[in-house]
Amino acid sequence: MSTAATASMPYLAPVPFEEEIGQRVPGRFLRPVTAPRSRRRPRLAYGLLAVAGALAIAGAQMLFSVLSTQSSFELSTLTQQQRELTWQKQILYDEVAGLSSPQYLAANAAALGMVINESPSYLRLSDGAVLGSQQPSVYTSSIDALGRGSVPNALITQTPLVTAPDATIDGVQAPPVDPATDTATPPPLTDGLPTPTTH
Amino acid sequence: MTTRSTRSPRRRTVVALAVVLAVLGVFVARLVDIQVVSAREHVDDSLAMGIGANTTLYGTRGSIVDTNGQTLAGSILQYDAQLDPSTVGPVSRTGPDGTKVEVDWPTLSAEIGAITGQTPDAVQKVVTDAVAANPDSQYAELTKGLSTEKYRALADLGIPFLHMTQHPARTYPDGAVAGNLVGFVGSDDEPLEGLERSQQSCLAPTDGERSYQRGKDGVVIPGTEVETPAVDGGTLSLTIDRDLQWYLQQLIAEQTQNQGALHGQIMVVEAATGKIRAAAEYPTVDPNNVAATADEDRSSRIFRGIFEPGSTFKALTAATAIDTGVATPTTVVTASGRETFPNGARITDAISHGATPYTLAGVLIDSSNVGISKFAEMMSADTRYDYLQRFGIGQVTAVGFPGEEAGVLRPASEWDNQTFYNTSFGQGVATTLPQLVGAYQALANDGVKEPLSLVESCTLADGTVEATDAGAPSQVVSASTAQQVREMLENVAIQGGNSKAVAIDGYRVGIKTGTGEISEGGVYKNGVYFTTMIGMAPVEDPQYVVAVTLDQPTGVRSSAANAAAFTQAMTQVLKTFRVMPSDSQPVLLPKTG
Repeated sequence: MSTAATASMPYLAPVPFEEEIGQRVPGRFLRPVTAPRSRRRPRLAYGLLAVAGALAIAGAQMLFSVLSTQSSFELSTLTQQQRELTWQKQILYDEVAGLSSPQYLAANAAALGMVINESPSYLRLSDGAVLGSQQPSVYTSSIDALGRGSVPNALITQTPLVTAPDATIDGVQAPPVDPATDTATPPPLTDGLPTPTTH
Repeated sequence: MTTRSTRSPRRRTVVALAVVLAVLGVFVARLVDIQVVSAREHVDDSLAMGIGANTTLYGTRGSIVDTNGQTLAGSILQYDAQLDPSTVGPVSRTGPDGTKVEVDWPTLSAEIGAITGQTPDAVQKVVTDAVAANPDSQYAELTKGLSTEKYRALADLGIPFLHMTQHPARTYPDGAVAGNLVGFVGSDDEPLEGLERSQQSCLAPTDGERSYQRGKDGVVIPGTEVETPAVDGGTLSLTIDRDLQWYLQQLIAEQTQNQGALHGQIMVVEAATGKIRAAAEYPTVDPNNVAATADEDRSSRIFRGIFEPGSTFKALTAATAIDTGVATPTTVVTASGRETFPNGARITDAISHGATPYTLAGVLIDSSNVGISKFAEMMSADTRYDYLQRFGIGQVTAVGFPGEEAGVLRPASEWDNQTFYNTSFGQGVATTLPQLVGAYQALANDGVKEPLSLVESCTLADGTVEATDAGAPSQVVSASTAQQVREMLENVAIQGGNSKAVAIDGYRVGIKTGTGEISEGGVYKNGVYFTTMIGMAPVEDPQYVVAVTLDQPTGVRSSAANAAAFTQAMTQVLKTFRVMPSDSQPVLLPKTG
């Protein structure tokens, strides 16, 4: 603070004696500087280094910017790809929805002629004993999964069975009657009265 | 004002500093205001300028799976399509040879209709209607609930005035299997029925948000993304076995039709744990197509319906008598087909007979109302009421199904002379099927009543498993009482009227039937009953309790109507869970003494 105050004063004008405030400290006098201290010449290397540094930083920044822009384009493409795959996955999921349901499985099995057996029998491995009813399976199923399918599933109502393409879980559908065909009119005779085939 | 002294250098310095600090203070205050106090506002302002974009990240609603992890309810995406009538018009397309082709609106509407399943006229009508209502209309709903396949097909048409929005939707791969329990959600993903509704806190996802700034070509500007991820809903695991559930649903549907009944129900509970393995009923809603089911059939009658249990209650009365020490299975009472008791109550048996020296076992075998009344009067009304409560009668079960009924069990103090006897054979009380099955579960599990459960656990998106706490088990009757009642139930199966129909090869089975009267407007209906058959197997170490009910069967009107369904259901249960056949012989109890 004192240096700031003194610096604003004329450089070489000594303080008039009368205006002096306080006491003179012995041994401390203002005296003219004989010659300004010679300024050292700035070294070129530092300058170059600073400029090079600045350029390097700017360059690196540009490089990073370019790279990150590049990768964000790449990211965008990949995101799009992922979206399309998600759509495909959804489409496939929709297609197979309901095919794993027990109704569908049972109807398919029933169409193959498989029946649900009543009481099971077990073979005990330790002594080979047969446990349970020991009755052969009957030929009728305990429930009728195909003819009387009573557990609806709207997802696969129209889906044909794998094992019987003309049937769905609701059973065999009667083909739609063509209204143009008049069933009341008998077919015309073309080659005489038909005779029953006998053996 | 400026004197010489104020212009002193030190003073000026102080003032300058003060000014600088004051300005700095103002800046700091403003900075805090911008960065902290009204930061949100400024961010919002900047985003509203246009480069910012927000997308809601939808979490997926959790799935509902059966005890083996098979999906009963899952989530998919569906799409709604809208048209912008203000810009409807011809579209120019680039043909395969590179030439531009102008496609007019009628052709486009035919293309759209071919995908959505609408006629071209219907598609055009959507636009004309919207314009007629509002000439400046920019929005006309075309169709809702499109599948992803149709959505992509529509998008591939490249029609600029056709917009599509996606929304999560629900799918039920197994259709009506457990539809009565799972319930369904509305078109806006609002849960409406069943577990979908009651377990909303587990299943519901938390939506997230992604905000970012984007360049002219829509590419996200790096470093501007802020994402709050969506949290998916939890996976709800049920105790239900879906294959068994399907079989029993198919079975009860056939049997309900065969017996000409209004409704039918089958319930399976694991004896040792109280877990409900199947709760099948007919009719049942298909959650994929709720509209196809009548309003009153869309929920679960198993949990919401109450009925007079009838003679199935006799086993509970017998258990009370044995547990309190007033009787054993061979204690004899003399009962006629119709008797008037000292307090004036009149009791009649289903089959008329002369004075018979019935054992307690015999009372159950012949299902004698008079006989069980004689045992009931050996105990006080309070004791019997207390035991019925401990069996869980008249209380909502631990399942807590939405809308579950509590049934009707009046306090003993309100029992009149007739009710005192009637409650012993299941009249003048009303239960739900789970209550009745729960009571028999205690008998099957050596007197220990495990709270029934339908939900195994909820697995949250972060993998935390929240198991359902159904409550603590309670000892209703002693293990020896339960054992003696089971022996009597086995004798009902062997010596009772349904003995041939309920025999299962290789297994020892115990059953009790019930033919409950149906009151309508305070009067019992004539000639139609609510029939029940409940039982357990293998009776020497019961693994499962199975109950079958039919509402007003008309083929056979008594509980014999349930025999075929019960036998098949029990067989399937034993087969499904690989219960080994019995290797011991039943103990025959005397019917009369």
